[in-house]
Amino acid sequence: MQFLTDLEFSTNKYLHRDAFFINGLSYTYSDLSNSISKIRNSIRNEISATEFNIGVVANDDLETYASIFALWLEGKAYVPLSPEMPVERNENIISQAFLKTIIDSSSSPLFGTIKTIRSKECNSVTVDLHPIEITDESAVYILFTSGTTGQPKGVPISRKNLQGFVDAFHNMKIAVDENDRCLQMFELTFDLSVMSYLIPLLHGACVYTIPKDKIKFAYIFELMDEQRLTFALMVPSILHYLRPYFDEIHFPEMKYSLFCGEALPIDITIEWSKCLPNAIIHNVYGPTEDTIFCTSYVFQKEESNKSYNGILSIGKSMLGNKNVIIDEENNVLPFNQIGQLCLGGVQLTTGYWNNEDKNLESFFMIYDKGNQTRFYKTGDLCSMDNEGDLMYIGRLDTQIKIQGFRVELSEIEFHVKSFLDKISIVALAIKDAKGNTEIGLVIESQKIETEALLIYMKMKMPAYMIPKRIEFIEKFMLNSNGKTDRKRLALLFNES
Amino acid sequence: MEKNEISSKIKSILISVLKHENFEMRDDLSAADVDGWDSLTHMIIITEIEECFGVKFKLKELNKLNNMINLLDLVAFKIEQK
Repeated sequence: MQFLTDLEFSTNKYLHRDAFFINGLSYTYSDLSNSISKIRNSIRNEISATEFNIGVVANDDLETYASIFALWLEGKAYVPLSPEMPVERNENIISQAFLKTIIDSSSSPLFGTIKTIRSKECNSVTVDLHPIEITDESAVYILFTSGTTGQPKGVPISRKNLQGFVDAFHNMKIAVDENDRCLQMFELTFDLSVMSYLIPLLHGACVYTIPKDKIKFAYIFELMDEQRLTFALMVPSILHYLRPYFDEIHFPEMKYSLFCGEALPIDITIEWSKCLPNAIIHNVYGPTEDTIFCTSYVFQKEESNKSYNGILSIGKSMLGNKNVIIDEENNVLPFNQIGQLCLGGVQLTTGYWNNEDKNLESFFMIYDKGNQTRFYKTGDLCSMDNEGDLMYIGRLDTQIKIQGFRVELSEIEFHVKSFLDKISIVALAIKDAKGNTEIGLVIESQKIETEALLIYMKMKMPAYMIPKRIEFIEKFMLNSNGKTDRKRLALLFNES
Repeated sequence: MEKNEISSKIKSILISVLKHENFEMRDDLSAADVDGWDSLTHMIIITEIEECFGVKFKLKELNKLNNMINLLDLVAFKIEQK
Protein backbone atom coordinates (compact mmCIF):
# COMPACT_ATOMS: atom_id res chain seq x y z
CA MET A 1 0.00 0.00 0.00
CA GLN A 2 1.36 3.35 -1.06
CA PHE A 3 0.97 5.20 2.24
CA LEU A 4 3.00 2.53 4.07
CA THR A 5 5.75 2.66 1.45
CA ASP A 6 5.71 6.45 1.75
CA LEU A 7 6.01 6.16 5.51
CA GLU A 8 9.01 3.86 5.17
CA PHE A 9 10.57 6.33 2.75
CA SER A 10 10.01 9.46 4.85
CA THR A 11 11.21 7.73 8.02
CA ASN A 12 14.47 6.72 6.35
CA LYS A 13 14.92 10.11 4.76
CA TYR A 14 14.27 12.21 7.87
CA LEU A 15 15.86 9.91 10.50
CA HIS A 16 17.34 12.74 12.54
CA ARG A 17 14.42 15.12 12.40
CA ASP A 18 11.65 15.19 15.00
CA ALA A 19 8.63 13.00 14.38
CA PHE A 20 6.77 13.61 17.65
CA PHE A 21 6.63 16.16 20.43
CA ILE A 22 4.85 14.49 23.34
CA ASN A 23 4.49 15.99 26.80
CA GLY A 24 7.48 18.29 26.38
CA LEU A 25 9.82 15.69 24.84
CA SER A 26 10.88 15.34 21.20
CA TYR A 27 11.28 11.99 19.44
CA THR A 28 13.09 11.64 16.12
CA TYR A 29 12.06 9.50 13.16
CA SER A 30 14.88 7.23 14.21
CA ASP A 31 13.28 6.82 17.67
CA LEU A 32 9.97 6.13 15.98
CA SER A 33 11.37 3.54 13.58
CA ASN A 34 13.19 1.74 16.43
CA SER A 35 10.02 1.62 18.46
CA ILE A 36 7.94 0.40 15.50
CA SER A 37 10.47 -2.33 14.70
CA LYS A 38 10.59 -3.60 18.31
CA ILE A 39 6.84 -3.80 18.62
CA ARG A 40 6.56 -5.34 15.15
CA ASN A 41 8.94 -8.07 16.19
CA SER A 42 6.81 -8.88 19.24
CA ILE A 43 3.68 -8.92 17.08
CA ARG A 44 5.36 -11.44 14.77
CA ASN A 45 6.40 -13.61 17.68
CA GLU A 46 3.23 -13.44 19.72
CA ILE A 47 0.25 -12.95 17.42
CA SER A 48 -0.88 -15.59 14.94
CA ALA A 49 -1.06 -14.75 11.25
CA THR A 50 -4.82 -15.29 11.27
CA GLU A 51 -5.55 -12.82 14.07
CA PHE A 52 -6.29 -9.45 12.46
CA ASN A 53 -7.95 -7.13 14.97
CA ILE A 54 -5.64 -6.07 17.76
CA GLY A 55 -6.50 -3.74 20.63
CA VAL A 56 -4.26 -0.74 21.32
CA VAL A 57 -4.54 1.14 24.60
CA ALA A 58 -4.77 4.77 23.54
CA ASN A 59 -2.08 6.42 25.67
CA ASP A 60 -0.25 9.61 24.82
CA ASP A 61 3.22 8.25 24.11
CA LEU A 62 5.55 7.21 21.30
CA GLU A 63 4.89 3.47 21.79
CA THR A 64 1.15 3.87 21.25
CA TYR A 65 1.69 5.52 17.86
CA ALA A 66 4.46 3.06 17.00
CA SER A 67 2.07 0.17 17.79
CA ILE A 68 -0.37 1.42 15.16
CA PHE A 69 2.32 1.47 12.46
CA ALA A 70 3.75 -1.87 13.59
CA LEU A 71 0.30 -3.45 13.21
CA TRP A 72 -0.16 -1.91 9.76
CA LEU A 73 3.23 -3.18 8.56
CA GLU A 74 2.15 -6.66 9.69
CA GLY A 75 -1.18 -6.36 7.81
CA LYS A 76 -3.31 -5.98 10.94
CA ALA A 77 -5.92 -3.50 12.13
CA TYR A 78 -5.94 -1.57 15.40
CA VAL A 79 -8.92 -1.10 17.65
CA PRO A 80 -8.22 1.80 20.05
CA LEU A 81 -9.28 1.31 23.67
CA SER A 82 -9.39 4.49 25.68
CA PRO A 83 -8.20 4.25 29.31
CA GLU A 84 -10.63 7.11 30.05
CA MET A 85 -13.69 5.17 28.85
CA PRO A 86 -15.82 3.12 31.24
CA VAL A 87 -14.55 -0.46 31.64
CA GLU A 88 -17.88 -1.80 30.46
CA ARG A 89 -17.69 0.04 27.15
CA ASN A 90 -14.16 -1.22 26.49
CA GLU A 91 -15.24 -4.76 27.37
CA ASN A 92 -18.11 -4.47 24.93
CA ILE A 93 -15.68 -3.39 22.18
CA ILE A 94 -13.21 -6.18 23.05
CA SER A 95 -15.95 -8.75 22.74
CA GLN A 96 -17.54 -7.31 19.58
CA ALA A 97 -14.19 -7.07 17.74
CA PHE A 98 -13.08 -10.50 19.04
CA LEU A 99 -9.89 -9.00 20.44
CA LYS A 100 -7.51 -11.64 21.76
CA THR A 101 -4.41 -9.49 22.10
CA ILE A 102 -3.91 -5.94 23.31
CA ILE A 103 -0.84 -3.77 22.91
CA ASP A 104 -0.44 -1.60 25.98
CA SER A 105 2.20 0.98 26.91
CA SER A 106 0.78 1.57 30.40
CA SER A 107 3.07 0.81 33.34
CA SER A 108 0.64 -1.85 34.51
CA PRO A 109 -1.56 -3.56 31.89
CA LEU A 110 -5.06 -2.18 31.74
CA PHE A 111 -6.79 -5.41 30.76
CA GLY A 112 -5.38 -8.09 33.03
CA THR A 113 -7.39 -11.00 31.67
CA ILE A 114 -6.34 -10.57 28.03
CA LYS A 115 -2.99 -11.39 26.46
CA THR A 116 -1.04 -8.13 26.44
CA ILE A 117 2.07 -7.05 24.57
CA ARG A 118 3.82 -4.52 26.80
CA SER A 119 5.02 -2.09 24.15
CA LYS A 120 7.54 -0.33 26.42
CA GLU A 121 9.24 -3.64 27.17
CA CYS A 122 9.81 -5.10 23.69
CA ASN A 123 13.37 -6.16 22.84
CA SER A 124 15.56 -4.15 20.50
CA VAL A 125 15.86 -5.51 16.96
CA THR A 126 17.14 -4.36 13.59
CA VAL A 127 14.94 -1.74 12.01
CA ASP A 128 12.44 -3.15 9.53
CA LEU A 129 9.78 -0.86 8.14
CA HIS A 130 8.99 -2.77 4.99
CA PRO A 131 5.26 -3.63 4.86
CA ILE A 132 4.14 -7.20 4.21
CA GLU A 133 1.93 -7.80 1.17
CA ILE A 134 -1.75 -7.99 1.99
CA THR A 135 -5.03 -7.30 0.20
CA ASP A 136 -6.22 -3.70 -0.02
CA GLU A 137 -9.55 -4.78 1.40
CA SER A 138 -8.07 -5.63 4.80
CA ALA A 139 -8.84 -3.23 7.64
CA VAL A 140 -6.43 -0.65 9.07
CA TYR A 141 -8.61 0.25 12.01
CA ILE A 142 -12.03 -0.34 13.49
CA LEU A 143 -13.48 2.56 15.44
CA PHE A 144 -16.52 2.13 17.63
CA THR A 145 -18.94 5.02 17.61
CA SER A 146 -21.89 5.39 19.91
CA GLY A 147 -24.97 3.64 18.62
CA THR A 148 -28.49 4.85 19.26
CA THR A 149 -29.32 1.59 21.05
CA GLY A 150 -26.46 2.11 23.50
CA GLN A 151 -24.45 -0.66 21.85
CA PRO A 152 -21.30 0.85 20.24
CA LYS A 153 -21.13 0.15 16.50
CA GLY A 154 -17.87 -0.69 14.77
CA VAL A 155 -16.75 1.07 11.60
CA PRO A 156 -13.97 -0.85 9.81
CA ILE A 157 -11.80 1.23 7.48
CA SER A 158 -9.74 -0.63 4.86
CA ARG A 159 -6.32 0.08 3.41
CA LYS A 160 -8.04 1.11 0.22
CA ASN A 161 -10.29 3.56 2.11
CA LEU A 162 -7.33 5.12 3.92
CA GLN A 163 -5.23 5.33 0.74
CA GLY A 164 -8.24 6.99 -0.90
CA PHE A 165 -8.27 9.57 1.90
CA VAL A 166 -4.51 10.20 1.63
CA ASP A 167 -4.82 10.73 -2.16
CA ALA A 168 -7.84 13.01 -1.73
CA PHE A 169 -6.02 14.98 0.99
CA HIS A 170 -2.99 15.51 -1.23
CA ASN A 171 -5.29 16.68 -4.00
CA MET A 172 -6.47 19.52 -1.69
CA LYS A 173 -3.13 21.20 -2.38
CA ILE A 174 -2.21 21.42 1.26
CA ALA A 175 1.56 21.36 1.16
CA VAL A 176 2.94 19.69 4.30
CA ASP A 177 6.71 19.17 4.36
CA GLU A 178 9.54 18.28 6.74
CA ASN A 179 9.58 21.78 8.21
CA ASP A 180 5.99 21.65 9.37
CA ARG A 181 4.82 21.40 12.97
CA CYS A 182 1.39 19.81 13.13
CA LEU A 183 -1.20 19.57 15.90
CA GLN A 184 -2.70 16.22 16.95
CA MET A 185 -5.40 17.16 19.47
CA PHE A 186 -7.67 14.11 19.17
CA GLU A 187 -8.24 10.98 21.21
CA LEU A 188 -7.21 7.96 19.15
CA THR A 189 -10.79 6.71 19.39
CA PHE A 190 -11.81 9.65 17.14
CA ASP A 191 -10.78 9.28 13.49
CA LEU A 192 -9.64 12.89 13.08
CA SER A 193 -6.58 11.64 15.00
CA VAL A 194 -5.62 9.48 12.01
CA MET A 195 -5.17 12.44 9.70
CA SER A 196 -3.46 14.35 12.46
CA TYR A 197 -0.65 11.80 12.94
CA LEU A 198 -0.49 10.13 9.52
CA ILE A 199 -0.29 13.05 7.07
CA PRO A 200 2.60 14.81 8.89
CA LEU A 201 4.59 11.56 9.19
CA LEU A 202 4.26 10.89 5.46
CA HIS A 203 6.15 14.15 4.84
CA GLY A 204 8.79 14.20 7.55
CA ALA A 205 6.89 16.77 9.63
CA CYS A 206 6.56 16.73 13.44
CA VAL A 207 3.35 15.77 15.31
CA TYR A 208 2.50 17.68 18.53
CA THR A 209 0.16 15.84 20.90
CA ILE A 210 -1.77 17.05 23.95
CA PRO A 211 -0.97 15.48 27.33
CA LYS A 212 -4.13 14.06 28.85
CA ASP A 213 -3.88 16.07 32.07
CA LYS A 214 -3.72 19.45 30.32
CA ILE A 215 -6.53 21.91 29.70
CA LYS A 216 -6.91 21.28 25.98
CA PHE A 217 -7.59 24.70 24.47
CA ALA A 218 -4.99 26.38 26.67
CA TYR A 219 -2.34 23.80 25.73
CA ILE A 220 -3.17 24.21 22.04
CA PHE A 221 -2.58 27.93 22.44
CA GLU A 222 0.72 27.21 24.19
CA LEU A 223 1.85 24.88 21.38
CA MET A 224 0.89 27.42 18.72
CA ASP A 225 2.65 30.17 20.64
CA GLU A 226 5.82 28.45 21.87
CA GLN A 227 6.31 25.68 19.30
CA ARG A 228 5.06 27.84 16.43
CA LEU A 229 2.75 25.26 14.91
CA THR A 230 2.13 25.55 11.19
CA PHE A 231 -0.78 23.14 10.71
CA ALA A 232 -3.80 22.39 12.90
CA LEU A 233 -6.97 20.37 12.47
CA MET A 234 -9.37 21.23 15.30
CA VAL A 235 -13.01 20.98 16.30
CA PRO A 236 -14.80 24.36 16.28
CA SER A 237 -15.47 24.11 20.05
CA ILE A 238 -11.80 24.98 20.61
CA LEU A 239 -12.41 28.37 18.97
CA HIS A 240 -15.33 28.90 21.24
CA TYR A 241 -12.99 28.52 24.26
CA LEU A 242 -10.22 30.62 22.68
CA ARG A 243 -12.55 33.41 21.59
CA PRO A 244 -12.25 35.55 24.76
CA TYR A 245 -8.48 35.64 24.11
CA PHE A 246 -8.45 36.30 20.35
CA ASP A 247 -6.86 39.71 20.91
CA GLU A 248 -3.75 37.93 22.29
CA ILE A 249 -3.55 35.50 19.39
CA HIS A 250 -1.35 36.40 16.46
CA PHE A 251 0.31 33.44 14.77
CA PRO A 252 1.73 34.45 11.41
CA GLU A 253 3.50 31.09 11.03
CA MET A 254 0.28 29.08 10.89
CA LYS A 255 -0.15 27.92 7.29
CA TYR A 256 -3.22 25.73 7.46
CA SER A 257 -6.09 25.76 9.93
CA LEU A 258 -8.69 23.03 9.35
CA PHE A 259 -12.00 22.54 11.15
CA CYS A 260 -14.10 19.40 11.29
CA GLY A 261 -16.58 17.59 13.48
CA GLU A 262 -19.12 20.31 14.14
CA ALA A 263 -20.83 23.18 12.34
CA LEU A 264 -18.38 26.06 11.85
CA PRO A 265 -20.03 29.47 12.43
CA ILE A 266 -18.93 32.07 9.91
CA ASP A 267 -18.63 34.96 12.40
CA ILE A 268 -16.09 33.20 14.62
CA THR A 269 -14.18 32.03 11.52
CA ILE A 270 -13.80 35.63 10.34
CA GLU A 271 -12.43 36.65 13.76
CA TRP A 272 -10.12 33.60 13.85
CA SER A 273 -8.76 34.36 10.38
CA LYS A 274 -7.48 37.69 11.72
CA CYS A 275 -5.48 35.81 14.36
CA LEU A 276 -3.76 33.79 11.61
CA PRO A 277 -2.90 36.35 8.95
CA ASN A 278 -1.09 33.87 6.68
CA ALA A 279 -3.19 30.75 7.12
CA ILE A 280 -5.56 29.10 4.70
CA ILE A 281 -8.68 27.97 6.57
CA HIS A 282 -10.53 24.86 5.41
CA ASN A 283 -13.88 23.69 6.67
CA VAL A 284 -13.87 19.93 6.14
CA TYR A 285 -16.65 17.45 6.77
CA GLY A 286 -17.15 13.72 6.97
CA PRO A 287 -18.43 10.88 9.12
CA THR A 288 -16.22 8.05 10.42
CA GLU A 289 -17.97 5.81 7.86
CA ASP A 290 -16.41 7.80 5.00
CA THR A 291 -12.83 7.83 6.38
CA ILE A 292 -11.92 10.96 8.35
CA PHE A 293 -13.33 13.64 6.05
CA CYS A 294 -14.52 13.76 2.46
CA THR A 295 -15.69 17.29 1.61
CA SER A 296 -13.83 20.56 1.89
CA TYR A 297 -14.52 24.29 1.64
CA VAL A 298 -11.79 26.92 1.55
CA PHE A 299 -12.68 30.02 3.59
CA GLN A 300 -12.27 33.22 1.57
CA LYS A 301 -10.61 36.01 3.53
CA GLU A 302 -11.27 38.82 1.13
CA GLU A 303 -14.51 37.76 -0.49
CA SER A 304 -17.88 36.68 0.74
CA ASN A 305 -18.32 33.06 1.77
CA LYS A 306 -21.04 30.55 1.15
CA SER A 307 -23.07 29.87 4.25
CA TYR A 308 -26.49 28.87 5.52
CA ASN A 309 -27.95 30.15 8.78
CA GLY A 310 -24.52 31.53 9.67
CA ILE A 311 -22.81 28.16 9.20
CA LEU A 312 -19.95 28.01 6.70
CA SER A 313 -20.43 25.73 3.68
CA ILE A 314 -18.77 22.31 3.86
CA GLY A 315 -17.80 22.60 0.21
CA LYS A 316 -17.43 19.93 -2.42
CA SER A 317 -16.62 16.24 -2.39
CA MET A 318 -12.89 15.53 -2.33
CA LEU A 319 -11.16 13.45 -5.02
CA GLY A 320 -12.63 9.97 -5.46
CA ASN A 321 -15.74 10.80 -3.45
CA LYS A 322 -19.33 11.36 -4.52
CA ASN A 323 -22.37 12.84 -2.87
CA VAL A 324 -26.09 13.14 -3.50
CA ILE A 325 -28.95 14.72 -1.59
CA ILE A 326 -32.03 12.53 -1.24
CA ASP A 327 -35.60 12.86 -0.05
CA GLU A 328 -37.37 10.47 2.31
CA GLU A 329 -37.94 7.93 -0.49
CA ASN A 330 -34.27 7.83 -1.56
CA ASN A 331 -34.94 9.98 -4.66
CA VAL A 332 -32.06 12.20 -5.68
CA LEU A 333 -33.02 15.87 -5.25
CA PRO A 334 -32.09 18.72 -7.62
CA PHE A 335 -29.85 21.67 -6.68
CA ASN A 336 -30.80 23.90 -3.76
CA GLN A 337 -33.30 21.51 -2.24
CA ILE A 338 -32.85 20.37 1.33
CA GLY A 339 -32.54 16.66 2.00
CA GLN A 340 -30.34 14.01 3.50
CA LEU A 341 -26.70 14.02 2.41
CA CYS A 342 -25.45 10.63 1.15
CA LEU A 343 -21.84 9.76 0.47
CA GLY A 344 -20.17 7.25 -1.80
CA GLY A 345 -16.80 6.55 -3.36
CA VAL A 346 -13.36 5.29 -2.51
CA GLN A 347 -13.38 6.27 1.19
CA LEU A 348 -16.67 4.60 2.07
CA THR A 349 -16.52 1.74 4.58
CA THR A 350 -17.75 -1.65 3.40
CA GLY A 351 -20.25 -1.55 6.25
CA TYR A 352 -20.62 -1.74 10.01
CA TRP A 353 -18.81 -4.51 11.77
CA ASN A 354 -21.12 -7.54 12.10
CA ASN A 355 -24.27 -5.44 12.01
CA GLU A 356 -26.40 -6.46 9.04
CA ASP A 357 -29.53 -4.65 10.28
CA LYS A 358 -27.73 -1.35 10.55
CA ASN A 359 -26.10 -1.89 7.15
CA LEU A 360 -29.47 -2.40 5.45
CA GLU A 361 -30.69 0.77 7.10
CA SER A 362 -27.69 2.97 6.31
CA PHE A 363 -26.37 1.88 2.90
CA PHE A 364 -28.18 1.72 -0.43
CA MET A 365 -27.50 1.62 -4.18
CA ILE A 366 -28.18 4.28 -6.75
CA TYR A 367 -28.44 3.13 -10.37
CA ASP A 368 -27.55 5.65 -13.00
CA LYS A 369 -26.86 5.02 -16.70
CA GLY A 370 -26.14 1.35 -16.14
CA ASN A 371 -23.75 2.01 -13.23
CA GLN A 372 -24.49 1.35 -9.64
CA THR A 373 -22.94 3.23 -6.75
CA ARG A 374 -23.20 2.42 -3.09
CA PHE A 375 -24.12 5.33 -0.82
CA TYR A 376 -24.22 5.91 2.92
CA LYS A 377 -26.97 7.93 4.57
CA THR A 378 -25.24 10.42 6.84
CA GLY A 379 -28.26 11.59 8.83
CA ASP A 380 -27.12 15.14 7.99
CA LEU A 381 -29.39 17.61 6.25
CA CYS A 382 -27.77 19.55 3.44
CA SER A 383 -28.49 21.31 0.20
CA MET A 384 -26.17 21.64 -2.78
CA ASP A 385 -25.89 24.81 -4.83
CA ASN A 386 -25.44 24.73 -8.59
CA GLU A 387 -21.65 24.94 -8.23
CA GLY A 388 -21.67 21.72 -6.20
CA ASP A 389 -20.99 23.32 -2.80
CA LEU A 390 -22.82 21.75 0.10
CA MET A 391 -24.55 23.82 2.78
CA TYR A 392 -24.76 22.10 6.13
CA ILE A 393 -28.17 22.59 7.69
CA GLY A 394 -28.29 20.30 10.69
CA ARG A 395 -28.80 16.75 11.80
CA LEU A 396 -31.82 14.94 10.44
CA ASP A 397 -32.72 14.12 14.01
CA THR A 398 -32.55 17.79 15.03
CA GLN A 399 -35.10 18.51 12.36
CA ILE A 400 -38.19 18.22 14.44
CA LYS A 401 -41.88 18.67 14.00
CA ILE A 402 -43.73 21.11 16.23
CA GLN A 403 -47.49 21.13 15.81
CA GLY A 404 -46.96 19.50 12.43
CA PHE A 405 -44.52 22.16 11.24
CA ARG A 406 -41.03 21.12 10.25
CA VAL A 407 -38.51 23.05 12.33
CA GLU A 408 -34.75 23.20 11.89
CA LEU A 409 -33.01 23.86 15.21
CA SER A 410 -30.02 25.48 13.47
CA GLU A 411 -32.31 28.20 12.13
CA ILE A 412 -33.46 29.06 15.64
CA GLU A 413 -29.83 29.07 16.78
CA PHE A 414 -28.93 31.40 13.93
CA HIS A 415 -31.50 34.02 14.93
CA VAL A 416 -30.69 33.81 18.63
CA LYS A 417 -26.97 34.17 17.90
CA SER A 418 -27.46 37.21 15.74
CA PHE A 419 -29.23 38.86 18.67
CA LEU A 420 -26.93 37.70 21.49
CA ASP A 421 -23.59 38.76 20.10
CA LYS A 422 -20.73 36.38 20.97
CA ILE A 423 -22.74 34.36 23.46
CA SER A 424 -22.95 30.65 22.69
CA ILE A 425 -26.36 29.06 22.60
CA VAL A 426 -27.89 25.72 21.72
CA ALA A 427 -31.49 25.00 20.69
CA LEU A 428 -32.80 21.57 21.60
CA ALA A 429 -35.90 19.48 21.12
CA ILE A 430 -37.35 18.65 24.52
CA LYS A 431 -40.55 17.08 25.75
CA ASP A 432 -43.14 18.94 27.78
CA ALA A 433 -45.07 17.32 30.64
CA LYS A 434 -47.55 15.83 28.18
CA GLY A 435 -44.81 14.33 26.00
CA ASN A 436 -45.17 16.88 23.20
CA THR A 437 -42.03 18.14 21.52
CA GLU A 438 -41.12 21.72 22.25
CA ILE A 439 -38.03 23.83 21.89
CA GLY A 440 -35.62 24.54 24.69
CA LEU A 441 -32.85 27.10 24.49
CA VAL A 442 -29.64 26.90 26.53
CA ILE A 443 -27.62 30.10 26.83
CA GLU A 444 -24.00 29.94 27.93
CA SER A 445 -24.10 32.80 30.37
CA GLN A 446 -25.17 33.79 33.82
CA LYS A 447 -28.87 34.51 33.96
CA ILE A 448 -29.75 37.45 31.73
CA GLU A 449 -32.96 39.24 30.86
CA THR A 450 -34.53 37.53 27.81
CA GLU A 451 -37.53 39.73 27.12
CA ALA A 452 -35.85 41.66 24.30
CA LEU A 453 -34.55 38.39 22.82
CA LEU A 454 -38.08 36.97 22.76
CA ILE A 455 -39.40 40.09 21.04
CA TYR A 456 -36.60 39.81 18.48
CA MET A 457 -37.28 36.11 17.84
CA LYS A 458 -40.97 36.83 17.35
CA MET A 459 -40.03 39.32 14.64
CA LYS A 460 -37.91 36.74 12.86
CA MET A 461 -39.71 33.42 13.28
CA PRO A 462 -43.21 32.00 13.46
CA ALA A 463 -44.65 31.42 16.94
CA TYR A 464 -44.13 27.64 16.88
CA MET A 465 -40.37 28.16 16.49
CA ILE A 466 -39.96 30.34 19.57
CA PRO A 467 -38.28 28.41 22.41
CA LYS A 468 -40.75 27.70 25.20
CA ARG A 469 -38.10 27.26 27.88
CA ILE A 470 -34.74 28.89 28.45
CA GLU A 471 -31.98 27.62 30.72
CA PHE A 472 -28.61 29.17 31.56
CA ILE A 473 -25.32 27.45 32.17
CA GLU A 474 -21.93 29.03 32.77
CA LYS A 475 -20.02 26.74 30.40
CA PHE A 476 -21.21 24.19 27.88
CA MET A 477 -20.12 20.64 28.58
CA LEU A 478 -18.03 18.91 25.91
CA ASN A 479 -18.16 15.22 25.09
CA SER A 480 -15.04 13.06 24.85
CA ASN A 481 -14.48 14.17 21.24
CA GLY A 482 -14.38 17.81 22.29
CA LYS A 483 -17.75 18.66 20.79
CA THR A 484 -20.57 20.48 22.59
CA ASP A 485 -22.49 17.79 24.46
CA ARG A 486 -26.08 18.45 23.38
CA LYS A 487 -27.42 15.38 25.16
CA ARG A 488 -26.12 16.56 28.53
CA LEU A 489 -27.41 20.07 27.89
CA ALA A 490 -30.86 18.62 27.21
CA LEU A 491 -30.83 17.15 30.72
CA LEU A 492 -30.99 20.70 32.13
CA PHE A 493 -34.65 20.73 31.18
CA ASN A 494 -35.37 17.57 33.13
CA GLU A 495 -34.04 19.06 36.32
CA SER A 496 -36.32 22.05 36.48
CA MET B 1 -5.53 43.20 49.18
CA GLU B 2 -3.77 40.77 51.51
CA LYS B 3 -2.80 37.34 50.23
CA ASN B 4 -4.91 35.77 52.99
CA GLU B 5 -7.96 37.58 51.81
CA ILE B 6 -7.33 36.60 48.18
CA SER B 7 -6.80 33.02 49.25
CA SER B 8 -10.04 32.82 51.20
CA LYS B 9 -12.03 34.36 48.33
CA ILE B 10 -10.54 31.87 45.88
CA LYS B 11 -11.35 29.07 48.28
CA SER B 12 -15.02 30.08 48.35
CA ILE B 13 -15.08 30.22 44.54
CA LEU B 14 -13.61 26.71 44.34
CA ILE B 15 -16.17 25.40 46.82
CA SER B 16 -19.07 27.00 44.99
CA VAL B 17 -17.96 25.76 41.53
CA LEU B 18 -16.73 22.29 42.49
CA LYS B 19 -19.44 21.78 45.12
CA HIS B 20 -17.11 20.17 47.66
CA GLU B 21 -14.43 21.14 50.18
CA ASN B 22 -12.14 18.14 49.86
CA PHE B 23 -8.99 20.14 49.26
CA GLU B 24 -6.53 22.14 51.27
CA MET B 25 -5.43 25.63 50.18
CA ARG B 26 -1.71 24.80 50.19
CA ASP B 27 0.85 26.55 47.99
CA ASP B 28 1.50 23.54 45.75
CA LEU B 29 -2.16 22.61 45.23
CA SER B 30 -2.80 21.97 41.52
CA ALA B 31 -5.93 21.22 39.46
CA ALA B 32 -4.94 17.58 39.17
CA ASP B 33 -5.13 17.22 42.98
CA VAL B 34 -8.74 18.36 43.18
CA ASP B 35 -11.77 16.26 42.22
CA GLY B 36 -13.84 17.79 39.43
CA TRP B 37 -11.29 20.46 38.45
CA ASP B 38 -11.24 19.77 34.69
CA SER B 39 -11.24 21.86 31.48
CA LEU B 40 -14.83 22.92 31.96
CA THR B 41 -14.74 23.84 35.64
CA HIS B 42 -11.34 25.48 35.06
CA MET B 43 -12.95 27.97 32.68
CA ILE B 44 -15.74 28.66 35.17
CA ILE B 45 -13.29 29.09 38.07
CA ILE B 46 -11.17 31.50 36.05
CA THR B 47 -14.20 33.55 34.98
CA GLU B 48 -15.43 33.73 38.59
CA ILE B 49 -12.02 34.80 39.86
CA GLU B 50 -11.87 37.50 37.17
CA GLU B 51 -15.27 38.80 38.20
CA CYS B 52 -14.62 38.60 41.93
CA PHE B 53 -11.39 40.63 41.78
CA GLY B 54 -12.29 42.77 38.77
CA VAL B 55 -9.27 41.61 36.78
CA LYS B 56 -8.77 40.02 33.35
CA PHE B 57 -6.15 37.34 32.76
CA LYS B 58 -4.25 36.77 29.56
CA LEU B 59 -4.22 33.25 28.14
CA LYS B 60 -0.44 33.25 28.42
CA GLU B 61 -0.68 34.01 32.13
CA LEU B 62 -3.24 31.25 32.68
CA ASN B 63 -0.97 28.71 31.06
CA LYS B 64 1.78 29.46 33.54
CA LEU B 65 -0.45 28.68 36.50
CA ASN B 66 0.80 25.38 37.85
CA ASN B 67 -0.31 25.67 41.43
CA MET B 68 -2.08 27.78 44.02
CA ILE B 69 0.84 30.01 44.92
CA ASN B 70 1.21 31.03 41.24
CA LEU B 71 -2.49 31.82 41.12
CA LEU B 72 -2.37 33.90 44.31
CA ASP B 73 0.68 35.80 43.05
CA LEU B 74 -0.94 36.44 39.69
CA VAL B 75 -4.17 37.72 41.24
CA ALA B 76 -2.22 39.98 43.62
CA PHE B 77 -0.15 41.29 40.71
CA LYS B 78 -3.24 41.95 38.62
CA ILE B 79 -4.97 43.80 41.46
CA GLU B 80 -1.89 45.98 41.97
CA GLN B 81 -1.82 46.84 38.25
CA LYS B 82 -5.40 48.04 38.19
